[in-house]
Amino acid sequence: MLEVRHLTKRYDRVLALDDVSFRVKEHQVMGLLGVNGAGKTTALSIITGCMPPGEGQVLLNGMDMQEQPRACRRLIGFLPEEPPLYNEMTVEEYLHFVCRLREVEKTEIPEHVEEILEKTALKDMRRRILGHLSRGYRQRAGIAQALCGAPPVLVLDEPTVGLDPRQVTEIREMIMELGKEHTVLFSSHILTEVQQICSGILILHQGRLIHEADMSGLEDGAEKQTYTMVVLETEGDVPAAIRSIPGVRKVRGIQRGEGRCRMTVECSGHGDDVRVRIFHLLSSMNAPILQLSAQRNSLEDVFLRVTGEGEAKS
Amino acid sequence: MTAIWSREVKSYFHTPVGYVYMGVFLALSGVLFDVQILQQRSSDLPTLIGQMSYLWMLLCPVLTMRLMAEEKQNHTDQLLLSSPASLPGIVVGKYMAAVTVQLLTVLLSTVLAGIVWMYGRIYPMELLTAYLGLILQGFAFIALDLLMASLAFSQVTAFLMAFGANLLLWMLDMVSGSVSGPLASVISFVSLYVRNEPFLMGQMSFASILFDLAMAALFLVLTVYGMDRKRRRGAHL
Repeated sequence: MLEVRHLTKRYDRVLALDDVSFRVKEHQVMGLLGVNGAGKTTALSIITGCMPPGEGQVLLNGMDMQEQPRACRRLIGFLPEEPPLYNEMTVEEYLHFVCRLREVEKTEIPEHVEEILEKTALKDMRRRILGHLSRGYRQRAGIAQALCGAPPVLVLDEPTVGLDPRQVTEIREMIMELGKEHTVLFSSHILTEVQQICSGILILHQGRLIHEADMSGLEDGAEKQTYTMVVLETEGDVPAAIRSIPGVRKVRGIQRGEGRCRMTVECSGHGDDVRVRIFHLLSSMNAPILQLSAQRNSLEDVFLRVTGEGEAKS
Repeated sequence: MTAIWSREVKSYFHTPVGYVYMGVFLALSGVLFDVQILQQRSSDLPTLIGQMSYLWMLLCPVLTMRLMAEEKQNHTDQLLLSSPASLPGIVVGKYMAAVTVQLLTVLLSTVLAGIVWMYGRIYPMELLTAYLGLILQGFAFIALDLLMASLAFSQVTAFLMAFGANLLLWMLDMVSGSVSGPLASVISFVSLYVRNEPFLMGQMSFASILFDLAMAALFLVLTVYGMDRKRRRGAHL
C-alpha cells in the first residue's frame, strides 16, 4: 500500500533523514516512533507530498509521489501536528471545502460530509465556528478533514498531543476504528499509546530507521521473556530446580507463604519455549502450577534499548 | 483551484478585510470625486480614474497580506500542500480571489460615473479604456504584492513589504523625470504608471495591456518559484 524507498533529506548541513525504507501493508496501523528531532515530521511531510525528498521514493499503490503527485495525494489523508483549520469557517463549511479541494464529485459531497461527521462524532458541532471549538473537537475536525475524499491511507502526526486524558482515549478509539478501513501511519512519542493502537512499529533515531517490528514481534524477537509464577511447593526447592533448566537466566522476587511460592522467572527470548520444560519439571516434582503469566515486553524497553544502541553506533 | 478561489473570496467577507478594503477604496474615491468632479464642476472621469489608480499602492497590500501568512498561522499550508492541488493552482486560486474582490470594488465605484452620467456628459469608450487601465494596473499590483506576501512571515510584514515595493515603484516613477539617458528609458519602460497613461487618454494600448498582464504573470511565476523553494527547505508556504 505505502512504500518508502531510501528516503534521504538534508537541511543545509543537517541530515534529517538517512536512507529510510519501509512498507506499510493494507489496513495496518503502523506507529512511527522517535525522540524529538528524530525525523518523524520530516518523514511524514515527504510521505504526504508536502515536501519533496532529497533522494528516494514514496510509492502509493505502486505510484511514485514525485511522478504522479496529484494521484498519490488523493490516496492520502493527512493530519499534521496542529489541526489545519480555518477558524472563521463552520465545521460543515470546512469539510465541504476540503472535499472540493480533494476533488470529490460535487454531487457526492453532502452525503460524504454526513458520513464523516457521523464517524468523527461531530454532527452536533456541524454549525459551530472552528475557532470556537475546544481542543478535543478541533482535533476531531482535523481527523475529519483527513477523511475527506475517502483516502485509503491516513497519516496522523501526534494526534493526541495536548489533549486531556478523556479526549486522548476518545481519539485513540477513533484511530483504532479507522484502522479497520484505512491504512494508518501514526507518529507519536507516547509509547503506551502506540503499543495500544498499532500493529507494527518503526523507530527513527537521528534520521535513520533503527528498528522495525510487528507488535507481536516485540515479544518474539525480544532478548528475554519474563514470567510470573505461583507454585504449590510440596517438596524440594522449586526456585532452585527452575534455575537449573536450560534457558532460564534468573529466578527472582521469591515470596513464600501458605505453602505457595511466588517468583519471577527470566528466560532467554530465543529457542524453545521454556514454559514446556518448567511444566515437565514441576510435574515430576509434584508441584502444581497455580498461576503462570507472561509479562509483555514493554515497548519502552525496546525503544530505550534500540535508541541506546543507535546512540552508541553514531 | 476553484475551491481555493471560492474559499478565499468568502473569507474576505467572513473577516473585516474585504469590507475595510472596499470601504476605504470607495471612501477615498468619493473624496477624489468631490475634489476633482464636484468642486471643479468637471466631468473628466479619466483623470479621476487616473488618481484612483494611486490607491492601489496603499490598498492592494491589504488584499494580499493575509493570503499566505494566514495559512502559516493556521497551519493550513500543510492541508493545501498535501492536497491534489498544485502549487501554481494554489497561487492562482488565491490571486484570482484578490482580483475578484478588486473587480467588485471597481464595479461599485462605477456609481460615481453614474452620477456624472446623470448630470453631465460622459464618453463611454474613454471611460471604458480608463477603467480597463485601472483594472489591469490593479492586476499587476496584486501579483507584485502577493509575491511580497509569499516572502513574509506575518501579515504585518506582508503588508509592509508589499507597500514598500509599491512605494518604490511609485518613487521610481517620480525620479524618472529627473534622470536622463538609458536609465530614464528603463524606468519609463517598467513603470506601471507610465504604462497606464494611454488608457487615461482614451487609447486602447495593446502594448500596455500586454505589459500589465506580463508583469502579473511574471510576479505569479516568481511567487510559485519562491514557494517551491521554501517547500523544498521544509518551510511549507
